[in-house]
Amino acid sequence: MTKLAASIIKELIILLRDRVGLAILFIMPMILIFVMTLIQDSAFRTLNEKGIPVVFVNNDNDSLGIEIGKGLRSSELCTVYDSIDGKPATAESAKQAVANGKFLVGIVIPKNATGAIRSNVTQLVETTMSADSMEQKNAGTDSVNITIFIDPITKKSFIASVTASLREFISAIKTKIMFRTFSDQIAELIPGKKKSTSAAFDQTQIISYSEVYASKSIGEIVPNAVQHNVPAWTIFAMFFIVMPLSGSIMKEKTEGSIFRLHTMPSSYLLLINGKIIVYVLVCMIQFALMLSVGMIFLPMLGLPALTIGHSMAGVLLIALATAFAATGYGVMVGTLASTEQQGAIMGALTILLLSALGGIWVPTYVMPQMMRNISAFSPLNWSLEGFYELFLRGGTVGSVIIYAVKLMLFFVFTMLVASVVNRMRKRV
Amino acid sequence: MILEEKNCCLYFTKFVAPVIMSSNTIIEVNHLSKIYRGATTPVVNDVSFAVERNEIFGLLGPNGAGKTTTISILCGLFPPTSGKVMIDGMNLNGDLADIKQIVGVVPQDIALYPTLTARENLNFYGSMYGLSGKVLKDKIELWLTNFGLTDAANRRVSTYSGGMKRRVNLIAGILHDPKILFLDEPTVGVDVQSRNVIIGHLKQLNAAGTTIIYTSHHMEEAEYFCSRVAIIDYGKMVTKGSPQELIMQNGAANLEEVFLNLTNRKLRD
Repeated sequence: MTKLAASIIKELIILLRDRVGLAILFIMPMILIFVMTLIQDSAFRTLNEKGIPVVFVNNDNDSLGIEIGKGLRSSELCTVYDSIDGKPATAESAKQAVANGKFLVGIVIPKNATGAIRSNVTQLVETTMSADSMEQKNAGTDSVNITIFIDPITKKSFIASVTASLREFISAIKTKIMFRTFSDQIAELIPGKKKSTSAAFDQTQIISYSEVYASKSIGEIVPNAVQHNVPAWTIFAMFFIVMPLSGSIMKEKTEGSIFRLHTMPSSYLLLINGKIIVYVLVCMIQFALMLSVGMIFLPMLGLPALTIGHSMAGVLLIALATAFAATGYGVMVGTLASTEQQGAIMGALTILLLSALGGIWVPTYVMPQMMRNISAFSPLNWSLEGFYELFLRGGTVGSVIIYAVKLMLFFVFTMLVASVVNRMRKRV
Repeated sequence: MILEEKNCCLYFTKFVAPVIMSSNTIIEVNHLSKIYRGATTPVVNDVSFAVERNEIFGLLGPNGAGKTTTISILCGLFPPTSGKVMIDGMNLNGDLADIKQIVGVVPQDIALYPTLTARENLNFYGSMYGLSGKVLKDKIELWLTNFGLTDAANRRVSTYSGGMKRRVNLIAGILHDPKILFLDEPTVGVDVQSRNVIIGHLKQLNAAGTTIIYTSHHMEEAEYFCSRVAIIDYGKMVTKGSPQELIMQNGAANLEEVFLNLTNRKLRD
């Protein structure tokens, strides 16, 4: 048996007998993926499936109010209420209820809103059709004021999204009323001309939109909680090997084995290589397990299945580079720390910090610019970007090679630091 | 003729004898000093001694005298601040890799993996000395049997008693049949039975040709075990010689009395 093989076997046996370490390495990350994906998927569904409670006060009782009410009720964005505690909602009670947090949004349609629109449109048509077109009067001076109450605790981005949707929706209905009034007026002015129907208005929607996720692959990959969470927490788990790995190095120091090993005709590199090979293998097993959770087990819970893109070589490349980066980091922490406790704290805290910066907890695009700049230095971010490129944008080996190179350079850097520190420690 | 005989004797004393002497010397330590980084006083201060081939040499001294530092330097754990060490004709400064092949070390602390069994520990440490296959297996079985550990060989070391751990700790340092064996307090904290077994086997190893350098606080054990001893205190060599010589020179009853007389009775840190 060669020295390297002996070193690998020794590491494997020690690792397999460390039940707590194994639980940290394999079971905890799997639970983490299940819990985080279920939570985020559930939140995602709440917002999409009648999630926003809206109180609707229709003081108009004509086309505009009725159309907006109908539209809101048919929308998947919200659940509409027109009464509060069993009493019909008023502008005042709606404002109070939103302020109390009972509803996220309150919409009040003013009295005679439809009448005001019609009157404005009629005035506009008459002005347009009049012979003296140069003497156009100020049409639409009595503008319709729809009030939207918003719960102050609601996030700004959410308010912007909801109010934009409402404005667009209300604007469409206003246009529809204007179109009808306009066509009615024209029908009255031109004998024999039939009044236009709603269908005729719908035909005027000459611009349509289609939203497609910009993926490089042929088949469309839909982003969802699974696509984001599985790679993110897999990287986190892979980097969490810092704990058992640095612990293993620290134990060798405190239990005296390293003393004996330094007196033997074996190099430090050989001993460390044994650890690296075992822990890279552990990382790859972790990776395979986490992917199987995303592809097989999450769909069993009614969640979408993980799609890993079309470049298996790219996936393996990023996974392997991440495994080396994580292992190198563990060796560096284990070498730098002076006690087991110090190693554990240093490892756990820095991984939490690097994962937060790397976009594991919160996507980097919601971070302030300064934090985004810092994020670019987190190896967890390089790995995550690599997996996003493959899983969400349908990237290839060529498009992720830069992330693999960065991760491998990080591995080389950590090994150099560990080697230098180890040499310095020997110079007592 | 007489002149010729005289010249011949002179030649022998001046040139041949030192060569014969030096070929019999396996460790030669000259003016060895060590000052730890950040410290101002030396832990080992201008120590010189020689160890003859096949002898059991005791390095004795109170706590903090510099014994473990001296042994650590001789094992190549860290370099001396100054001085020269030759081991089996090789310079410690340049031939460390070769020296490590012929040296065995049994540290004071139990340097074993507690979650591995004795057999797994010995397999690993034996492999690190380049042993493998049947040779390694046979050596492990031989020493486990000699030290009465065969039945417990597949148990994790963490479940062992102090004496059992000491025995495995010793086997890990002798599996590769080293020419020179460094023992740093090999019998500390063990019962009389384990100590007897350990000392008995060390005597056998020595009889088979292994040179032993040994540190201990057990003066009685050192008196019985060592062919020569050196006493160091505050990093300096105080005296050296065979236990009997030192006892006679100092008019003492035993080695412990010599030790106390030379290192005084003051408590040490």
